[in-house]
Amino acid sequence: MSVSGVAAAAPASGNAAPASGDDTILELRNLEKSYGPVLALKPSSLAFRRGEIHAIVGENGAGKSTLIKLLTGVIPRSGGDVLWNGAPVGLANPQEAIDHGINAVHQEVVLCRHLTVAANIFLGDETVKFGLLQKRDMTRAAQRILDDMGFNLPAGVQLDTLTIGQQQLVATARAALRGTKFLIFDEPTAYLTRQEAAQLFALIRRLKSEGVTIIYISHRMEEIFEIADRVSVLRDGLMVGTRDIAATNDNELVAMMINRTIDEIYHKEHIPFGEVLLETRNLSGKGFKDVSLTVRRGEIVGLYGLIGAGRSEFALSVFGRNPKTAGEIFWKGKPVDIADERTAIGLGIALAPESRRDQGLNLNLPIGLNLSLPIYDRLSRGLIISSREEARRADQQIKDLSIKTPSRKSLASSMSGGNQQKIVIGKWLNHGADLFIFDEPTVGVDVGTKAEIYRLFAKLLKEGAGILLISSYLPEVYELSDTLHVFRAGQLVGTNGFRGASHEEVLAEAIGV
Amino acid sequence: MSTVDAASAKAAQPRRNYNFLFALTLLGLLVLLWVVLAFATPNFFTDRNIPNLMRQGAMIAILAVGQTFVIITAGIDLSVGAVVGFSTVVIALLLQAGVPVWASILITLLVGLGIGLFHGFGITKMGLPPFIITLATLTSLRGIGLLMTNGSTISIQNEDFTRFATLDFLGIPSLFWMVVVIAIPAYVFLNHTRWGRYLFAVGSNPESARLSGVRVNRVIYLAYALCSICAAFVGVLLATRIGIGNATQAEGWELQAIASSVIGGTSLFGAVGSVHGPLIGAFILATINNGANLLNVNSFWQRIITGGLIIVIVYFDQLRRRGR
Repeated sequence: MSVSGVAAAAPASGNAAPASGDDTILELRNLEKSYGPVLALKPSSLAFRRGEIHAIVGENGAGKSTLIKLLTGVIPRSGGDVLWNGAPVGLANPQEAIDHGINAVHQEVVLCRHLTVAANIFLGDETVKFGLLQKRDMTRAAQRILDDMGFNLPAGVQLDTLTIGQQQLVATARAALRGTKFLIFDEPTAYLTRQEAAQLFALIRRLKSEGVTIIYISHRMEEIFEIADRVSVLRDGLMVGTRDIAATNDNELVAMMINRTIDEIYHKEHIPFGEVLLETRNLSGKGFKDVSLTVRRGEIVGLYGLIGAGRSEFALSVFGRNPKTAGEIFWKGKPVDIADERTAIGLGIALAPESRRDQGLNLNLPIGLNLSLPIYDRLSRGLIISSREEARRADQQIKDLSIKTPSRKSLASSMSGGNQQKIVIGKWLNHGADLFIFDEPTVGVDVGTKAEIYRLFAKLLKEGAGILLISSYLPEVYELSDTLHVFRAGQLVGTNGFRGASHEEVLAEAIGV
Repeated sequence: MSTVDAASAKAAQPRRNYNFLFALTLLGLLVLLWVVLAFATPNFFTDRNIPNLMRQGAMIAILAVGQTFVIITAGIDLSVGAVVGFSTVVIALLLQAGVPVWASILITLLVGLGIGLFHGFGITKMGLPPFIITLATLTSLRGIGLLMTNGSTISIQNEDFTRFATLDFLGIPSLFWMVVVIAIPAYVFLNHTRWGRYLFAVGSNPESARLSGVRVNRVIYLAYALCSICAAFVGVLLATRIGIGNATQAEGWELQAIASSVIGGTSLFGAVGSVHGPLIGAFILATINNGANLLNVNSFWQRIITGGLIIVIVYFDQLRRRGR
């Protein structure tokens, strides 16, 4: 009972996969995917049951996305069979997958931002009378669906007036609608608030009770234990094993994923604090007000709060991206006017922003250029860049941060999330700074890379830097911060009082209950 | 270690080779066109036609290089043709007024600089899309030029000036040498200076560039200024070639410049482009036009062929990008 009948990989006898029971909806038999000689997914056999919530975990690059793409028909498989209700299916293109009832909700919202929520929900399946769209009927129907799903969302508004989390829920509603029997969620809660996550979980449970099979991919262990029935682990493209959720624990899963225990991830040495680097006094700006805090050398100051609580806006104002409207900023004890990003960078402030795609990376440019972007004035002699120095520095960062890439000339877009995050951080290591602001540094980053990033924090502190750590992931800020602040609706609540508080107390402050 | 990373490793290596291959393919296409035309018509490889082809291609080539700087920032400059026409008027009037040649050229280039800075101002300060602000200057510059000349053509009497276009050096027309004079610094600028890198960074993601300390607005100003200066320079060259100043000259050259750039591998979405690509692209277009003339192909067909060529080349480029 504890271990289901799925072997890690059973290539020996070829088609020795277990016979499908009645409750099996989708079965993989030695499914594999290769890119040239490289196996992104080694032959994997796995049976998904009707109406189960099946979590899939693994580090970035373990093959989860490859598996999703195979199941949704985005890429063709290289070998093996997929059985849908016992019959072999091709899954050669996305439409075929949808026709069978296989749908996915992707991590990034892929909807039309300029259309209404209702129009997005019915996109490709509009209500038409005499060749004309029945907008009012559709809006009403969409509202009924959203209400019925327990999402508190207006159907008539344009999609981009919603938060990313709310958009994610719209995408979920859309996917859950069209006769779906098999629904894949890829990191669905990355951008959701606590309440939204609760609404999503309620919907997932309801879909399960209606017999829909749910594949749930997440880095967040506590969610998996909250919602899943079974969990499968992928490592390096290999299906390592499947467990019943009741018969396993996070230590075992983490060990299966990386051969490391969870205690080794958050390790923190305390370093004596030095001078005060940054002090804000009653700083106000767009999205936050009256924020007073200090960051010293050797200190990690954590900013916890829900997404949209004003933490990122605060960071952007300190960094000179957005103007402040009131209050003062002191740098090393002296009042400063940080009018733009270059002033902040010149003082010694570095920002690894919230969104890698939108703010942190030049995705369609080489890694080397991304890493060198802040330091080109230093790499230039006269007008001309020293290519050798540029290459040396970039290669050094790639090596120091163990960014997994064949070359600094590879495009940033070809990297996995964890490696992209390393580039975002690496450009500032190349530059050097006293204060590092990390905004959600581990969203969509696997456990192994997380541990590497945390080790990097320790190294920076030891070198005399201070860190302002913004995170919506409570265990992370809670374990790592020397001083923990909580943001709620643009303001700090309580101050410095969270060191002894429990997770629940911190969370309650952030939500305001 | 990870298999997916290994897969991307595979993808990255061919990428460099691809850029090289793409340039080689374009060059091959150009040579193929020449070989075909050499056999198809006795008038192609002649002492008169080849320098003529070089002169024809040279001006679009210079425009295309300037245009490419703008397109790399994910912008567009529709005004370059109008700037060329306007510049012929400016330099013709200056020469008519007895201003020395060197000063006339300098002032014309400064006028180009001013137009480029105005574009930069419109985009960064007024928040206008590049398409709109340059469309506006496209029509209004032609109007201003016509007003200044009362709709007439100013002929240039200065023979030192008009003789320049007919000169040769090492058997190669002076106008073609001007391409070299522009292309070499342009290449160094784009590939070996930080401002070149910033053009790509802004075209790829302006927000990320900004948060990395790049002064995005200055980069935009720079790109449009360089583009307009190139156009003003082409205006000077055109004036030496035709010996007149007329605001309606160079009609449609902006589209030829954009087409050359795109054929040369520049992505209209920004952050992809080179100097050699647009140069080859411009001479491919010039060869097609020249060949069509020699073969007595209806000039309407030239336009159709150019359109078809853009579709085919960009389609193959897209195939490659998707395949990656």
